[in-house]
Amino acid sequence: MKKVAALATLLALTTALAVAPKDTLVIQESADIPTMDPGVTYDTASGAITENLYETLLTYSGASLTKLEPLLATKWTISNGGKTYTFDLRKGVKFHSGNAMTCADAEYSFERNLVTNSAESGNWFISESLLGTGANANDDKTITWARIDKAVECNNAGQLVFTLPAVDPAFLAKLAYTGQSVVDSKHAAKIGEWSGKEADWKAWVGKDLTNSNLSKQPSGTGAYKFVRKDANAFLATAFDGYWGKKPAIKNIVIQKVSELAARQQAFLKGDADLIEGGGRAVDEEQIKGKPGVVWQDGFPSTSATAFFMNENIKATGLLGSGKLDGKGIPANFFKDANIRRGFSYAFNYDQYIQDVQKGKGKQRTMLLPDTFPGYDAKVNTYTFDAAKAKQFFQRAWGGQAWKNGFVLTANYRAGSVPAQTAMEILKKNIEALNPKFRVNIQAKQWSEMLASSKKGEEAMIVIGWAPDYADPDNFMYTFYSSNGYYFPRSNWKDTQVDKWLEQARNTVNTAERNRLYSLVGKKAYEQAPYILMPAPVGYSFMRDSLVGAEQKNFNPMISFSYTGTYWKELSKK
Amino acid sequence: MLNFIVKRLIQIPVVMLVLSLMIVGLTQLLTPEQRAAPYIRSEQQAARLEQIIEQRGLRDPFPVQYGRWLNSTLHGDLGYSKASNQDVIATIKERLPRTIELTILTAIPILLISVWLGTLSALHKDKFIDQFLRVLVVLGYSLPSFVVGILLLAVFYAYLGWLPGSGQLNVVNTFALGDVRTYTGLLTVDAALNGRWDIAWDALQHMILPALTLVIVLSANIIKVMRNNMLEALTSDYVRTARAKGLAPGVVNRKHARRNALLSIVTLGGFLIIGLLGGSLITETIFAFPGVGQWVVDAARGVDLAAVLGFAMLTAVIVVVVSTVVDILYGVIDPRVRFD
Repeated sequence: MKKVAALATLLALTTALAVAPKDTLVIQESADIPTMDPGVTYDTASGAITENLYETLLTYSGASLTKLEPLLATKWTISNGGKTYTFDLRKGVKFHSGNAMTCADAEYSFERNLVTNSAESGNWFISESLLGTGANANDDKTITWARIDKAVECNNAGQLVFTLPAVDPAFLAKLAYTGQSVVDSKHAAKIGEWSGKEADWKAWVGKDLTNSNLSKQPSGTGAYKFVRKDANAFLATAFDGYWGKKPAIKNIVIQKVSELAARQQAFLKGDADLIEGGGRAVDEEQIKGKPGVVWQDGFPSTSATAFFMNENIKATGLLGSGKLDGKGIPANFFKDANIRRGFSYAFNYDQYIQDVQKGKGKQRTMLLPDTFPGYDAKVNTYTFDAAKAKQFFQRAWGGQAWKNGFVLTANYRAGSVPAQTAMEILKKNIEALNPKFRVNIQAKQWSEMLASSKKGEEAMIVIGWAPDYADPDNFMYTFYSSNGYYFPRSNWKDTQVDKWLEQARNTVNTAERNRLYSLVGKKAYEQAPYILMPAPVGYSFMRDSLVGAEQKNFNPMISFSYTGTYWKELSKK
Repeated sequence: MLNFIVKRLIQIPVVMLVLSLMIVGLTQLLTPEQRAAPYIRSEQQAARLEQIIEQRGLRDPFPVQYGRWLNSTLHGDLGYSKASNQDVIATIKERLPRTIELTILTAIPILLISVWLGTLSALHKDKFIDQFLRVLVVLGYSLPSFVVGILLLAVFYAYLGWLPGSGQLNVVNTFALGDVRTYTGLLTVDAALNGRWDIAWDALQHMILPALTLVIVLSANIIKVMRNNMLEALTSDYVRTARAKGLAPGVVNRKHARRNALLSIVTLGGFLIIGLLGGSLITETIFAFPGVGQWVVDAARGVDLAAVLGFAMLTAVIVVVVSTVVDILYGVIDPRVRFD
């Protein structure tokens, strides 16, 4: 027994030292980091790293989504009717490799993004601004080296000059995206990345940079420098040569811990400052209110989710009889606005907020996050109203729908409890209206559903959109334009809305844009192309020793979503 | 003997070929969209699904896709694993030594404890100690490793604080690891060779709970078999003869009975080691232990074909090599076994 006690003390002594040190931020999450190359960064796990190792020309000011402030640029001017942007770059900035940052590095970075523009990357939207197309040179043969070269150049004064083919009100917001960070061109060329010259540009078109040499050996201007990444952890340390204020936390460790229970124990013991949680229901039960834990709630959500009602269903398998005879639906079932309105009135929004979002949910007026510019809170919303739903169904299809009934088959993403619950709520309410109404719901694999919905083969699905950059066009055009990304899934076309959306993306006048988006919102309420899902309310939790992560500086566009800040803004007490 | 070994080693490429054909063939039952899933991590990337399928040639016919894999494999390139975000070869190089380390720390106690307890149980048949061990065996056999693992973590890490939690090193040593030169890939050994005993001790401490989990879960079976073998041997004619010759009971039990009872334990031990080297999927995942098992779980969940194929190739080598060693060991224990 003595021996056991001695062993126990020895073990206890050595592990007492293991608690997260003050100069080190310890994060535990389940997944690995896909890439550290900004040129292909298009997910938050990678973004959370690249945004701290690298820097963009400008960034969001605090928690604001509309105000941008200089980062690697010091100031910028817009000329030529909004088609030319000239940036003054910060002097005395060093890369982690020791190289000095010059305009040539910035030029190289943007040209590299335009040249590679791989399917995995988010470079399609910078390409849309600078080349007028989201495609790369393999898919669009009109893209030449001359066009890429001309789009972004350094002038004799060492300023960076962008020349756009057309006005783009979202251009500055796009530059704030971490994928548009400035990379170290000399270092990159030395380790075997694109040379930056015309000679080998063709070979790099469409190339997937996920496992590039630059991803393995990053060199940016950010406040943190990459140390090592192995199967256990990612390590970074404060960069001594950083041009800005020296960060308070010296070391960053992101440990890979797949098991939630193990992460929770480490967090509650104080061995980890931040962990990936298990969803609101789990975290409220097992984390909230425990000693040493700070819980923050009420964060705005920046995604938008909706029921899609496809007005031209291309898969016959889901249509039953294919006619309005009570045994199926015609392919254009949702073409009648009264059907869509009926469905919109039949969804119980409050019940969804209670059941799925634990009372923390918010109904929006349009498919645009309420924190985004262009959002109009005054547009009407649908409420659950069986009587009104009945009225609209009775009017639909000249009364045939009500008289004969229908059988609708809807798929939801397998494993998605919110989508399943939403479908079940809708099914119950619709079937309660008329015994001849039937809604069948079934689970389907996500990847299959993405493919079939893209081909317009799904009748009704629940999907959402998360922003690439903080501009309303990224949502409004995606959902409501007949040229938008989601059009094949909804097949809802309104020429007036199309016109407004084109106008809004071609003017920099904010008041005018707001007016146009408000018009779209009103028209969309009236036409009801989507059933808008209530938006979730975000939360975060951390150890109480962590300082600097507060609601007032939480920016949802920052990929490091535990605190919504850059690492350099944090400290520990 | 040499003939036997060479014959066995020739099996490796054949097993690999059949395995890879089967796996690539099976994945053809998935749609190209499903096989493109590992390349998609966000709604936005999903928007580029078609380009991703096109770029990867996921719509090509089976022989073309298999030929592409075989060709690069023969050139020593097993492809890129999405689950580990690096090349498959690099992943195996990094993770296999970790798994070997855990295997050594697990398999030896399991075998020693099982043989000891199995013998003890048989020698005291139906006495208290036998009854007690039988209950323990049933418990160990029926407790799944994810329950034992989380329980041990909750007790020894979260509640008592005696042992470290998940991972392989504490935070400070994770940074210090940069100064440690790699010789063998086995972290404890490398740290010791570098004179960093603190790191070696830390790594060893981190392995106690995963190893204990595996010992609890995996010993039960072997104890049971050992007990039965031993009982059978104890009632056999040669043991009776040995006793009749007047040999000491200890000598009879150890030299005559136990040695014969060990034969099938060697086979079971072989399977145990094959299983452990192939990665203890659940235990490694729970304890965030960076071995091959943790990687394969991620790979399988994400339809990471390159990783699954690479792992299958690794398993083929492990199975053939370990079972050859087991067969040779047979000859050592039982002199009647001949290889030619």
